[in-house]
Amino acid sequence: MSERTRIDARGAYCPGPLMELIAALKLVQVGDEIEVLSSDKGSANDIPEWVKKVHHEMVGITKEDGHWSIVVRKAK
Amino acid sequence: MMANEPLYILLCSGEHEKIQMAAMMASVGAVSERPVEVFVSMNAMLAFAKGATPEERYCGGAFSDLLKAKHAPDAITLFRQGKELGDLKMWACSMALDVQGWELDKLEEDLFDGALGLTKFLSDAENGQFITL
Repeated sequence: MSERTRIDARGAYCPGPLMELIAALKLVQVGDEIEVLSSDKGSANDIPEWVKKVHHEMVGITKEDGHWSIVVRKAK
Repeated sequence: MMANEPLYILLCSGEHEKIQMAAMMASVGAVSERPVEVFVSMNAMLAFAKGATPEERYCGGAFSDLLKAKHAPDAITLFRQGKELGDLKMWACSMALDVQGWELDKLEEDLFDGALGLTKFLSDAENGQFITL
């Protein structure tokens, strides 16, 4: 059963949220999900770009109250 | 989409804004499965002095003030993350060390892969994309 880890990176500036995501991905299993909460608009664009580049999976991205919820699944 | 072509960054400026941009490019490139090498020389080397405070390391203009006020990710921290999470090598310019009478142990620990001459760096950089800051 896949696990989901949440990272609250609200208030952190680019590329902080991306780096936190990458560090967290190293610690979880393939199939697990990481949810990054970010108030940085650049990260909301950059994280999906990075996910596509390195062949993980985007689960979803939603705009919430003053921040984005970005969910990534570890694919490899 | 970012290429996998190696990225070579020649960092000479002591301006905070340029050091920050070099750190951002190096760390993001390195974690994006792109080999990155950074050659640190001239005024930029002063920012990597071991034990320096952020106020001592980073001097710049209006954007430097903003980066500090907003607690943007520290450049040294970003370089370290690039090394820990990706393929990033950092080189201290041999000439800049010599001119200052410094050895590598005067620089931040566990950041530099060694001292290097410009000739070697330029030769290696023929295989990739070259950026000067």
